[in-house]
Amino acid sequence: MNEKEQRQYFQKIIGQHKGILYKVSHAYCPNEDDRQDLIQEMMIQVWQSIPRYNNQFKISTWLYRISLNIAISFYRKNITRSNKYTMLNEQTAQIPTEEKITEERQLNLLEQFINELKEIDKALMILYLEDKSHAEIAEILGMSISNVGTKIVRIREKLKTRFSQLKS
Amino acid sequence: MNELELKKLWQTTNEKLEKTLAIDRINSTEISQLKLYHFISSMKPVKIFTLLAGIIWVGLGSIILAHIYLYTFSESNKFFLFSASFQVGLTAIALFIYLYQLITIYQVDITAPILKTQQKLASLKITTLWVTRILLLQLPAWTIFWWNEVMFREWNIFQWLITGSITIAFVIAAFWLFFNIKFENKDKKWFKLIFNGKEWTPLMKSMELLDQVNEYQANVIPGTNADS
Repeated sequence: MNEKEQRQYFQKIIGQHKGILYKVSHAYCPNEDDRQDLIQEMMIQVWQSIPRYNNQFKISTWLYRISLNIAISFYRKNITRSNKYTMLNEQTAQIPTEEKITEERQLNLLEQFINELKEIDKALMILYLEDKSHAEIAEILGMSISNVGTKIVRIREKLKTRFSQLKS
Repeated sequence: MNELELKKLWQTTNEKLEKTLAIDRINSTEISQLKLYHFISSMKPVKIFTLLAGIIWVGLGSIILAHIYLYTFSESNKFFLFSASFQVGLTAIALFIYLYQLITIYQVDITAPILKTQQKLASLKITTLWVTRILLLQLPAWTIFWWNEVMFREWNIFQWLITGSITIAFVIAAFWLFFNIKFENKDKKWFKLIFNGKEWTPLMKSMELLDQVNEYQANVIPGTNADS
């Protein structure tokens, strides 16, 4: 692949799958100001990894691996940053309907729960919510399919308990 | 809330994220023109300064010591010479480990499965403990380098008691710390006290992360691991 092709391919991948970078960075980077840095770091790594892309994996699997690995490792550069978590709903203020309020409240609870998870649990939770199959989650995380199932059940239980705690 | 509702709720984040994070602000063409992303470019200036200072210290120290060994060994103060050699030698080893760690961290395959990559990154970061252990081991050298023959002829017992006690205390502390600063002791109070502070956060975080990875891998069935 020459440089021109690599650039076209890169822009195509980012254009089609930028949602992966958004979601992962939002889940791992509580500080809004630093999120752009994290996304930029992810994009640099995507660009550099294109020549080594192994097409036995789906492009989304490959992108999840890169973005999650970068996001989890971001703490190495993140030591002086604050931990203020900005909820999505605070960022996109609109005139709410009653249905919207309930939905947004639930979304805040879900975000709060995800924010409280440990790094690897968080990765698993994102992939689960993204409706990835157990096989794909296993491929992204590098664990057995049966182990994925067990871990998801545990996290779901935690989520259930936390939701009821947060609601009350 | 059931599984389906939960996933549907999560999907609503998509459009909201689209509004809050504009990827276009990051010029993708600019990034695609990046030919080299060297690890040095991502290092903080203070780290580069420490590394340079260490290299200069070891380099200059080696030149001066080599000169003494080659040309003025017989008239030199042996306490100074051997203490300085010990100190410079240990600093050189620590510097080598630190450099090896930095280079290797930036060569880790970021496209490999998460557990594999994170285990490697965290384990490498934890080698910082080796640097600390080795640097602490040189503590006694700082209490001996200024000794000389005059002290042996003219000092009284009281002076020796103070000097000797300090040196013995430093030797004991250095060896104790050398053998006890290790991953297995990370949850002990004294360990947390030593490694308290922002500069140690990445190291402590790496240890936490390694614990998480180990917990995940504890149930992995051999042969079913989805390594790339």
